[in-house]
Amino acid sequence: MSGLALTLRDPPRQRLDLSPLTPDRLAGLDEAAIAAIELISGNQRLRVGDLFAIAIGDPADLSIRNACDKLDFIGRAMTDGTITVEGDAGAYVGLGLRGGRIHVRGGVGPWAGAEMHRGVIEIDGDAGDFTAGAVPGETKGMRGGLVIVRGNAGHRAGDRMRRGILVIEGSVGSHAGSRMIAGTVAVLGAAVGPYPGFGMKRGSLILSSAPERPSPTFADCGAHDLGFLKLLPQAVGDRSSRLAELWAMPPRVRRFAGDLAAGGMGEILIRRI
Amino acid sequence: MTLVKLAGGRIVDPANGRNGDAADLYLRDGVIVPDPGPGAAIDETVDITGKIVMAGAIDIHSHIGGGKINIARMMMIEDHRKHADAGDGLRRSGGGLYTPTTFVTGYRYAAMGYTAAFEPAMVPANARHAHAELADTPMIDKGCYAMLGSDDFLLRMLANGAEQQAINDYVGWMLQATQSVALKVVNPGGINAFKFNARNLGLDTPSPHYGVTPRRIVAALARAVNELGICHPVHLHCNDLGVPGNWETTVGTIDAAEGLPLHLTHLQFHSYGTEGDRKFSSAAAQLAEVINRTPSVSVDIGQIIFGQTVTASGDTMIQYRNHRHAHPKKWMCMDIECDAGCGVVPFRYRDENFVNALQWAIGLELLLLVEDPWRVFLTTDHPNGAPFTVYPHLIRLLMDRGFRRDMLKTINKHAAAASTLGGIEREYSLYEIAILTRAAPARSLGLLDRGHLGVGAVADITVYTERENREAMFARPDYVFKDGRLIARNGEVTDIVWGATHVVRPEFDQGIEGPLEDYFNRFQTVRLGNFRVTDDEMEDEGRSRLVRHPCRRTTP
Repeated sequence: MSGLALTLRDPPRQRLDLSPLTPDRLAGLDEAAIAAIELISGNQRLRVGDLFAIAIGDPADLSIRNACDKLDFIGRAMTDGTITVEGDAGAYVGLGLRGGRIHVRGGVGPWAGAEMHRGVIEIDGDAGDFTAGAVPGETKGMRGGLVIVRGNAGHRAGDRMRRGILVIEGSVGSHAGSRMIAGTVAVLGAAVGPYPGFGMKRGSLILSSAPERPSPTFADCGAHDLGFLKLLPQAVGDRSSRLAELWAMPPRVRRFAGDLAAGGMGEILIRRI
Repeated sequence: MTLVKLAGGRIVDPANGRNGDAADLYLRDGVIVPDPGPGAAIDETVDITGKIVMAGAIDIHSHIGGGKINIARMMMIEDHRKHADAGDGLRRSGGGLYTPTTFVTGYRYAAMGYTAAFEPAMVPANARHAHAELADTPMIDKGCYAMLGSDDFLLRMLANGAEQQAINDYVGWMLQATQSVALKVVNPGGINAFKFNARNLGLDTPSPHYGVTPRRIVAALARAVNELGICHPVHLHCNDLGVPGNWETTVGTIDAAEGLPLHLTHLQFHSYGTEGDRKFSSAAAQLAEVINRTPSVSVDIGQIIFGQTVTASGDTMIQYRNHRHAHPKKWMCMDIECDAGCGVVPFRYRDENFVNALQWAIGLELLLLVEDPWRVFLTTDHPNGAPFTVYPHLIRLLMDRGFRRDMLKTINKHAAAASTLGGIEREYSLYEIAILTRAAPARSLGLLDRGHLGVGAVADITVYTERENREAMFARPDYVFKDGRLIARNGEVTDIVWGATHVVRPEFDQGIEGPLEDYFNRFQTVRLGNFRVTDDEMEDEGRSRLVRHPCRRTTP
């Protein structure tokens, strides 16, 4: 049985909250029941059937086709199954994800993978700000799982991250890994915005190139061969060929400890300097 | 000019000594009118045969406006994400469980049969903001207590040995300038001492900069309120909030008022002893005994109910001390214009925690051991002990001994064993609950035409179906009338109205503006003329009609 496919007919005029449409919540529903689900768009309540063409199939393998950047909360708090987004997605992709896999073939808005606990999010395009971060008011960002951004990511990637792995194959904006509590952020691209690791308590921020403006509150600890870095490609597996390629080289990095303004138990590891 | 008849209800109106007698009520032009006699044209009859009729309830202490609660709303943004209310054409959207938005605050109070709530800690510098927020709070009557006692101008006066008359003038000016209905004092002198690095301040300890003791501040302000003839006594949050052994400070503070009327607020947080293995015990029995024999003192409780909430207080000293208990881990403390301070610390009260469980028991012990219901008011110090929406649950705890004992079995067993709560037989009657939640707060605040159902009273009326389960009964009143208009049915808001703002207008010597203007020019960020909130500002929107309460001066 092929997967359930929802094809967006026209881009919505206002932002559309897709949080009811996850494999676990759609399990066991027939076409009429899915068409009747209410979605909030701006200050209106609309029905799935009015917005999407429904091709019935296994909801554990859900595709959202003809997607656009107004579709928010895709896969919010989902526990199982797969969502494939053909096109761009809006903000909060996989917010609070508990399991399963989300694959966006385009780019995403801010807060992708924010506060996720488990599961995998793959983003083929660019990601917005606060990827794997915490939404305002929350004290912890991503708490587990894996996020891979194959394009570039915006500012404050991994903000308040608590655990898990964020791999950004492209470049990253300012304040990457800001206020990190723990976890791992790897940036493979050439450009790293100013002040990475701003206010980080613990955690590892692994950069392929030196940041545009390093934070003054990081202490240079010299060059090291850190064998454990070989574990990172193992954890990510075949999901990031760029990571595998890069770490085929000897694991020599320059280590900076910080943020000394926030306890200094974190580190920035730079591959080439 | 329509005449509405509420037919056949059982009137529970302690202010007029009525306890459940069946009678009709007549409402016209927003007030209760006498029986027009046979043959009068009645426009509408509401049959409430056998139902309980009380005046609209009054919350004497609820942080619903002003700077710190707005900071709490911003800080507890997840509260608004998790508890969002959509608008429905009648009501506006909003949300928040323990930091409700202004509109939702009004709707929830009204749906629960409350028709007035008083913001008890308005920093004078925030007065304009507080009133603007309350002008966005529909359904209920409002009023603010101006917070003094750690403000530099007062402490300067006391340190320089100013005469009582000058202090009275200053207090009178402040109450008028900030459109307040009463005077609040928070940790007298302590908030200022905190700024000079003191982390506690005993009742008889001179403060580090001004050398003024809290006792002196309490005495001066209690006298000022008395001499200005303001009905509600000094609304006092004592020193040493939350500190084990603080019940002695509380008793000392009662002495400091030198026999003048005094209102001790959120007494639960000030009733702790140091006995037992954990050096934390209940002193509710000792304090209740002192209060029972001191008729000049009234109290409200600040009951805690288990769950997530946020504490918002002007007491920076105690909020700074408690910041390490913040849950979730975020907090702030700040100074506001040298007037006072502000601290916001999220907190989760847990029934398995010894201290929290004992706090819960202490509040109930106080409510049950203070004998005179006219001197004890039902509050949770919203949102500090719990959001105001728990009041029906709290009423059930007071009225239903079996329920109370069942709840006692679910809390931390060491705390349950340390508490005398299980041995207290008392159950509140409906009549006493009506005193606690209506008649007594109205009388204490000087609201002569509210809190009762006599002829001439404002038609703020709540009608309940009597139920065994008091929580269900008080959560969803059948009818709620505000100024004679039906605003809620069966616990759902049905009409939107705007309540009045209660203020006092004490007499004072305008000459105080001379030294005050000099002070404002030298130290404040606004000029004195801009600081004052005018009547026009209050009433322009049509949402905060002023009700001015007279003051009866006792001495010149």
